[in-house]
Amino acid sequence: MSANGNADGSVKATATAGTAARTGAAAAGRVLGLPAVLIALWWWAAASSGSFFLTDPGTIAATFAEVWVSERFFTDVLPSVGLLLTGYALAAVLGIGLGVPLGLSTRLRAAAEPVLEFLRAVPPPVLVPLLMLLVGLDGSMRAAVVVSGCVWPVLLNTVEGVRAVDPVLADTCRVYGVRGRRRLGVLVLRSASPQIAAGLRQALSIAIILMVISEMFASSSGLGYAVVQFQRSFAIPEMWSGIVLLGLLGVVLSAVFARAERHALAWHRGLRAASRGE
Amino acid sequence: MLDVDGLRKTYNGRGRDVEAVRDLTFRLAEGELSCLVGPSGCGKTTLLKCVSGLMRPTAGAVTIDGRPVTGPPPDMAVVFQEYGRSLFPWLTVRGNVELPLKEKRLPKARRRELVDGALEAVGLAHAGAQHPWELSGGMQQRVAIARAIAYEPRVLLMDEPFAAVDAQTRADLEDLIRGLWQRFSMTVLFVTHDIDEAVYLGQRVIVLSASPTVVQDDVRVDLPEERDQLTTRSAPRFAELRAQVYREIQNAKNGSGGGGEGAAEGGGTAGTDASGTGADASEADEGAGGAGGADGPDRAPTPSGGLR
Repeated sequence: MSANGNADGSVKATATAGTAARTGAAAAGRVLGLPAVLIALWWWAAASSGSFFLTDPGTIAATFAEVWVSERFFTDVLPSVGLLLTGYALAAVLGIGLGVPLGLSTRLRAAAEPVLEFLRAVPPPVLVPLLMLLVGLDGSMRAAVVVSGCVWPVLLNTVEGVRAVDPVLADTCRVYGVRGRRRLGVLVLRSASPQIAAGLRQALSIAIILMVISEMFASSSGLGYAVVQFQRSFAIPEMWSGIVLLGLLGVVLSAVFARAERHALAWHRGLRAASRGE
Repeated sequence: MLDVDGLRKTYNGRGRDVEAVRDLTFRLAEGELSCLVGPSGCGKTTLLKCVSGLMRPTAGAVTIDGRPVTGPPPDMAVVFQEYGRSLFPWLTVRGNVELPLKEKRLPKARRRELVDGALEAVGLAHAGAQHPWELSGGMQQRVAIARAIAYEPRVLLMDEPFAAVDAQTRADLEDLIRGLWQRFSMTVLFVTHDIDEAVYLGQRVIVLSASPTVVQDDVRVDLPEERDQLTTRSAPRFAELRAQVYREIQNAKNGSGGGGEGAAEGGGTAGTDASGTGADASEADEGAGGAGGADGPDRAPTPSGGLR
């Protein structure tokens, strides 16, 4: 942005550049202001309390680099993320795969509903001891725990989304002979996709929680295990850095998800904006 | 070509049956443009769903060239009233028009030809890459019309297609439909609640009674083939036809008492309409007679709320 343009243009350009810089600074202030205040507060609290368990942010940051930018990244972080994504993907496939037939068939839904309501009501962490016995202590057990919790929001949202297919669109498909797989792809899954995405978004945060819980309970590696180990060995800054890493992981995953959703559901946002405008 | 014979539809409500359509019989000739009008809540939509094979009638039959309609026939296209809900918002305009052609397994080159032709015919050649919700209501309904035309139907059903667009757009779309009908030689059944629209568009206006529905009258529109929003609508004959259809609908609404008058009007129509063929005249008589018969003292006023 150069301000030394033509005589009449330069004034305007400088003004625009100035405004842009100001709005940019304002935006940055809005985004970073609260975190900065909170970190400062934390720092002050840590320094004034003198508690052994309350580590100040500077120490945590230093420890963070030391602990996680190391061998641990490959032995703890990557396997945990892999486990999380495997369980999440399986839950997505299972939830959508079961949700579509359940959404399409009233009879099937009536038969399955009581069982689904019961299974959904069982808190997934309670399955950890059971799955330890059934599946064993390996990674597939932990993936099974993640699946058992993540599948419900996906499944129930898919059922609702499929049920809510617009009858006029369904008639349109019938009139023009659109059936079978094309009907499934063009009509059913696409019109349910905003709801399916909502289910997937809920499932993502559940997946992180269950990954950590399953690793805390029954594992000899992974992020959850590492945090518990640090706590037991009174490696308090290390424990804090593990918590921070889990938080960052959640932020990154939901940012990736939001990006994918923005792309896949661009039509939905457009449609909503258009109908609000009228 | 399109025969509706003794069509009857009864909905099974909670505890009681609601008779939406009692006994409908009419016949459309190949290439005819007919409009169907009736008082609101008279079962027009039910009728159209039965004709398009989306709904099974309780009794009676719909046939095209003698073939009974049991599901949506492959050579029939429908334009729905709710344009916003009949277009796929996740597909582009072009994708919407092309979708039925993919299902027909037409080769790609032929599909492109049909889609381009249809979009050009409705004046949307430039909008193919846009999404339906980026367009105005009238343009969205043009997309739905383009989709119907690209399908190359022999029969085109339109269910109050212009009810939700503004008056000026509506006039344009009416002229578009007349033009497309002449160009693509389809049999068109156009359902509307707008009397002016019915008279302006149709070669014939079938007037339905209030629910439970029978044919109240069948009016041949003897206006010149080349119609124009300005001259046609100000022609004395247009006003006469409009008044006649309006009267019939009033009779239909009033139910009892209207029947006798309606029968007389129907007979009068057939008599004065010298240009109509004998078959048409007798059909008009039959329809009006049916209305008269239906308007007996046993006719209970049926709530029209649960009909749609």
